[in-house]
Amino acid sequence: MSKSKAESRAEKAARIKAEQARRERNRRLASIGGVIAAMVLIVGGAIAFNVWNDNRRQAELESAAEAETGEFSFLYGSADAPNTVVIYEDFLCGHCATLKGASGAGLTEQADAGNVLLDYRPVAFLQGSDNALNAFKAVLETDHEAAKEFQEALYADQANGPWSDEELVALAVASGVEAEEVRADIEGNTYADWVAAATQSARDARVQGTPTILLNGRVFSDGRSWEEIGRNLVSAVSTAD
Amino acid sequence: MNTAVHAWLGLSARLVVGGVWLVAGSLKITDAAGSVEAVRAFELLPADLVRPVGLALPVVEIALGLALVLGVLTRLSAALSALFLVAFIVALASVWSRGIAIDCGCFGGSDDASGASAAYPVEVVRNLALLAASMYVALLRRTRWALDSVLFGAHDRVPASEKEVDVEVQS
Repeated sequence: MSKSKAESRAEKAARIKAEQARRERNRRLASIGGVIAAMVLIVGGAIAFNVWNDNRRQAELESAAEAETGEFSFLYGSADAPNTVVIYEDFLCGHCATLKGASGAGLTEQADAGNVLLDYRPVAFLQGSDNALNAFKAVLETDHEAAKEFQEALYADQANGPWSDEELVALAVASGVEAEEVRADIEGNTYADWVAAATQSARDARVQGTPTILLNGRVFSDGRSWEEIGRNLVSAVSTAD
Repeated sequence: MNTAVHAWLGLSARLVVGGVWLVAGSLKITDAAGSVEAVRAFELLPADLVRPVGLALPVVEIALGLALVLGVLTRLSAALSALFLVAFIVALASVWSRGIAIDCGCFGGSDDASGASAAYPVEVVRNLALLAASMYVALLRRTRWALDSVLFGAHDRVPASEKEVDVEVQS
């Protein structure tokens, strides 16, 4: 009798102990779950904020780019074209050269066919780009067609940049202008103020990096690489909308 | 090895790996466009995923870094850290084998960088070291100065007989 009583007491003690352990474990699991939930909320919230913030930046960029006067634009194609492509680019930016290689000829072709107005906005974000941009402006002031050649020549020759004044003059001449027409402006850095203003204007428009593309007013970055983005851009403007 | 030594080694591993995550994340979080381009440079993700991943990655990196440095959900965070590092190593190996020369963008800012291919072995080795440290932390039941022991303090109140096992390496 007393033996079984002792047994049941031991059982009871064991049961209570097991119950305690179970409750302890549940409490622990609940607090771990709580901390995980809190972290997921914080991280999710921060990601959502980041996306919201970048969407806002893009929206500001889109309206600011739209509002540009054209003072810093190199326009190519017909103003009546059904599509407009704005490209902020830097002569020394690697992705810009990749984009130019994949889309330059195709875009020019579409512009010549009247499908797109190209609105290039060269900037000097990178170290050493400013004298190339000054030279570009000098060529542009002299001969609009040559500027197109010069732009492509600079990107094709990017591996040799940043360029000396002498090299810039040579590239300009190869693009179809007379050396005397641009030499003084290139050597004298005549358009330094324009270069600075163009670059600042892009910064004010919240252009964060080059290349930045806008197709019909919307930021365009459809592609897994800049080469693909370039190809997609050409096919997007090939179908008049 | 002595359990106390493991606990201290675990703390240093936490601080090193967590610190790297924190630096990597905070350098990128202020430059959304740069972070997106760093992701695009790998040419691995579908076009529609590049931007979301580029915007989410810095946040996740900072969160992982904070969790490891503070020791919150240490083992889970360390396991996630290891998982991400494996993904980065695979991504690096992939660009390397495809002959694409990029700055890994690990710490923000990415453009085609000449000499980048020379940096790939270094980056892979660095990530392997961080991976080993993450796995080590994930295997430890307990490390020094982890907020976990404050948050889930009950874990310390295990019967004395289990105390010894409690701090042992679980492998």
